[in-house]
Amino acid sequence: MRSKFNKAVYLFLTGVLAFVLPLTTLAGGSDGDMKLEAKLVWGTNEKTSPDPKQKPVSPELAEKLKNSPFKWKYYFEVKSECFALPKQGEKTVSMSKTCEVRIKNLGDSQVELRLFGKGKEVSKTTQPLPKGELLVTGGNAENATAWFVVLRRGE
Amino acid sequence: MNEEQQLKLQAFLDGELPEDDARATASWVARDSDATALLNELRNTRKALADFEPALKLPESREFYWSKIEREIQRLEPVERPRETVSLAAMLRRFLVPAGALAALLIAGIVAFHNIGVAAAAPSEAALADAGAFTYRDQDQGMTVVWLSYPAEIGEK
Repeated sequence: MRSKFNKAVYLFLTGVLAFVLPLTTLAGGSDGDMKLEAKLVWGTNEKTSPDPKQKPVSPELAEKLKNSPFKWKYYFEVKSECFALPKQGEKTVSMSKTCEVRIKNLGDSQVELRLFGKGKEVSKTTQPLPKGELLVTGGNAENATAWFVVLRRGE
Repeated sequence: MNEEQQLKLQAFLDGELPEDDARATASWVARDSDATALLNELRNTRKALADFEPALKLPESREFYWSKIEREIQRLEPVERPRETVSLAAMLRRFLVPAGALAALLIAGIVAFHNIGVAAAAPSEAALADAGAFTYRDQDQGMTVVWLSYPAEIGEK
C-alpha cells in the first residue's frame, strides 16, 4: 500500500514537472526580454593599464579571449552596461567618446548589433545569440593594442 | 370395416358410447371377428401406452410448485455487481501515466522545436563597411568575433 502511494506521489510530481516545465519554457523563452551586457574591452600585452580606473575583465571572459586567436595577453574593461531588451526593442549604448553601439532584439534569440565610429556606421551584424554566448566586435588600436565591443547574453 | 365403425369401436373401448349404442356394439363385436380383432388390438395398444406413461404427481400444490420455479428464476437472474472501489493511488496513476507521457512528448517537441528554431535561424550576417574585416566563429567558446581593420579610433577612450 505504501509503495503504491509512493509510486503515485512520484508519478504525480513527474506529471506536475512535466506540465510546469513547458509552461516556464514558453513563458520565459526566447521571445521574452533579452538580458544583455555590452562591454568595451581593451586588449594589451602590458600587465597593467595606464588608466587605473580600468579593471581586468572577468576570468571567464579573459579565458575566452585568450583561447581565441587573439595575440593579446591582458584585457581591461573600459566600460560595461547591462540592460534588457524586449522583443523588437532597440538600445543605443555609448561605449566611448567616438564609439557607440545600437542593439536590437529581433526575437527568436536573434540580435542585431550596429557599430558606429564617430557617428558613422562601421558594421552591422545579425546573428543568433543564445544565452551565455558572446558576440565580439574588435579592431586594432594604437601601440599594438586592440579594442573589443563584447556583447554577452545573460542567463 | 369403414372408418366410422373403427371410431365407434374406439369410443366403445373408451366407454364413451350411450348405453344403447354400447349394447349394439358389444353384440356386433361378438358376431364380427374383424371387429373383435380390432377391439383387442386397440385394447392392447391402450394398455401399452398406459404402462409406459409415467404418472407424475406433484408433491405439493400446483401454485406452490410454480411459485418455487418463479423464485428460482429470479434467483438465477444476473444481479448487478457492486462497484469496485478505486483507490486514490490508482486514480492518480490512471491520470498521470498518460499525462506524463503526453507532457514528455510535449517537452521533447518544444526542445526539438527550440533547438531547430535556433539552429535554423538566419546565420550570422554581417554588413561591413570595412573590406579587410572578417568574421570568426568559435563554437567551443560560444563566441562570434567580427574583426575590423578600420577604423582604429573606435577604441579611443
